[in-house]
Amino acid sequence: MLIALPLCFFIGAICVGRYYVSPAEVVQSFWMAISGTDMGIDDQTFSVVMNLRFPRALQGLLVGASLAVSGACFQSLFRNPLVSRGMLGVSNGAGFGAALSILLFNSMVMTSLFSFGFGVLAVILAYLVGKVSGGTPTITLVLGGTIIQSIFSALLSLLKYIADPYSELPAITFWLMGGMGSTETRELIFSSIPMLIGIIGMVLFRWRLNVLSMGDREAKTLGLNVGLNKGIVIGFATLATAGAVCISGVIGWVGLVVPHMCRMVIGSDNKWLVPAAISIGACFMVFVDTICRTITGAEIPLGIVTAIVGGPFFIYLLKKTKGSNW
Amino acid sequence: MALMEVKHAAFTYDQKRMILEDVNFTVEEGEILCIVGPNGCGKSTLIDCILGLNKLKSGQILVDGENLANLKPREFAEHVAYVPQGHKTTFAYTVLDVVTMGRTYAARMFAPPGEEEKAIARDALKQVGLEGFEDREYTKLSGGELQLVIIARAIAQQSRLMVMDEPTAHLDFTHELTVMEVIADLVKKKKRSIIMATHFLNQAYYLENAGVNTKVALFSGKNFARMGRPSEVLTEENLEQTFQIITEIVNDGSGVRKYILPLHNKR
Repeated sequence: MLIALPLCFFIGAICVGRYYVSPAEVVQSFWMAISGTDMGIDDQTFSVVMNLRFPRALQGLLVGASLAVSGACFQSLFRNPLVSRGMLGVSNGAGFGAALSILLFNSMVMTSLFSFGFGVLAVILAYLVGKVSGGTPTITLVLGGTIIQSIFSALLSLLKYIADPYSELPAITFWLMGGMGSTETRELIFSSIPMLIGIIGMVLFRWRLNVLSMGDREAKTLGLNVGLNKGIVIGFATLATAGAVCISGVIGWVGLVVPHMCRMVIGSDNKWLVPAAISIGACFMVFVDTICRTITGAEIPLGIVTAIVGGPFFIYLLKKTKGSNW
Repeated sequence: MALMEVKHAAFTYDQKRMILEDVNFTVEEGEILCIVGPNGCGKSTLIDCILGLNKLKSGQILVDGENLANLKPREFAEHVAYVPQGHKTTFAYTVLDVVTMGRTYAARMFAPPGEEEKAIARDALKQVGLEGFEDREYTKLSGGELQLVIIARAIAQQSRLMVMDEPTAHLDFTHELTVMEVIADLVKKKKRSIIMATHFLNQAYYLENAGVNTKVALFSGKNFARMGRPSEVLTEENLEQTFQIITEIVNDGSGVRKYILPLHNKR
């Protein structure tokens, strides 16, 4: 179920668009690309499926999964259901990095690299700020994250202020709203590495997340090296988030709300919550991205649609489950 | 060998004012040490020291003969289980999941605990009388039930020594008695050892009356003013000195069971 659902969304997303492709043709195109045998698909269809929509749907899956699972992990780690993946400043850092690179280079690849680098840097800084003698208590870590977030958002405002209002400023603004339209395949390949490492890492650590969510004292006396495990989980979540943000821009909402949707449906046990967040996050992102590129002639920024689509669905779930499982 | 031996332990938070100075005690198999003393005397600080959360300024703590400072969290958890004061719930785990977390130190690298560990957890739940609670969400339990779940988690750890920080704080009469019965059972029948900080002096007498091998340490100043059997330590004179209260030690009808009857503050 957790694997089948994203697969359906994946294939569905490839079918839908101005140029309709039937699911059978999608599968046949895949097979053709893998095995090289001619399945009688015309070139145009094959090109739409494999060159345009396949990378984009794949990106949607990876980005959605990364953002949602990082959010779920941070919520458990900080014992706070209101925390999302941006808590330690990764989004603000990445936003700043992207804006800086837009001002300096005007190259998409550099923008990805810069936003990834600064996203990671922001988290490292937040971690160092939050580290006090002998450990990283949740509260100082959160404070550190908040401070780093505001510093980077101020720096971002500075860059926006000095940016050329006719070319660079719109580029920064659109980047910040998020979107998948302009990603090149090599960027996708480059960013999928940290995303996959992060996702796999979080899956491996999911049971320990339960123990970490008991709080530092108890996790330690239950036999976990709290500092080390916390650091590793933050590292994995940061890799995944920075990988996602650097090619798709800052996409709000997914990291906060998808984990909650999963909690309502499946409960809080990270053993199931983590895989569920991966699966539902992937579905949600592919779905929203498909809407973005099909509903009007021009693309709507992703960050806008995530909230418009996700909001009502969240309210529906909240009413339906009466907020249980919290 | 003693399960825990504390030798000349000293601790300070700020390098100026000493909180603990020259604290000494040992805990052997099958005995309970009740640490009592007024608010702010350093009980919680001492608990944090023996859990390895506070680093001693000087002195030594030996856990089963090994220096606490050299133990990894996993090794420590194998020897010592901890029941915190007032566990705060956040996410709605099931009772069984929470109790199974006691097996963390025994779990392999990334594998979630298997059936064997769950069986140990179920058995621990049975010991505290919470059979049938396995699938309940632990956020929806009453305070007393929650405390029993946390004790069950420590039991599931199967360590020979348990450290409890005010295990009956905020519990009603019934649950206080349940917790005390579970504790007495653990020490008497299962030969576990317990170090327990408590504000309820009569709990030491309760345990002694129940035939549990009980020691009580009276915290005063920076270390233990007195340590020994409850009937030797919790006397009217000692209580007056430490707590500034006038009490009477009374017997029940049988003449064997003793209790402290608080009369009034010394003024």
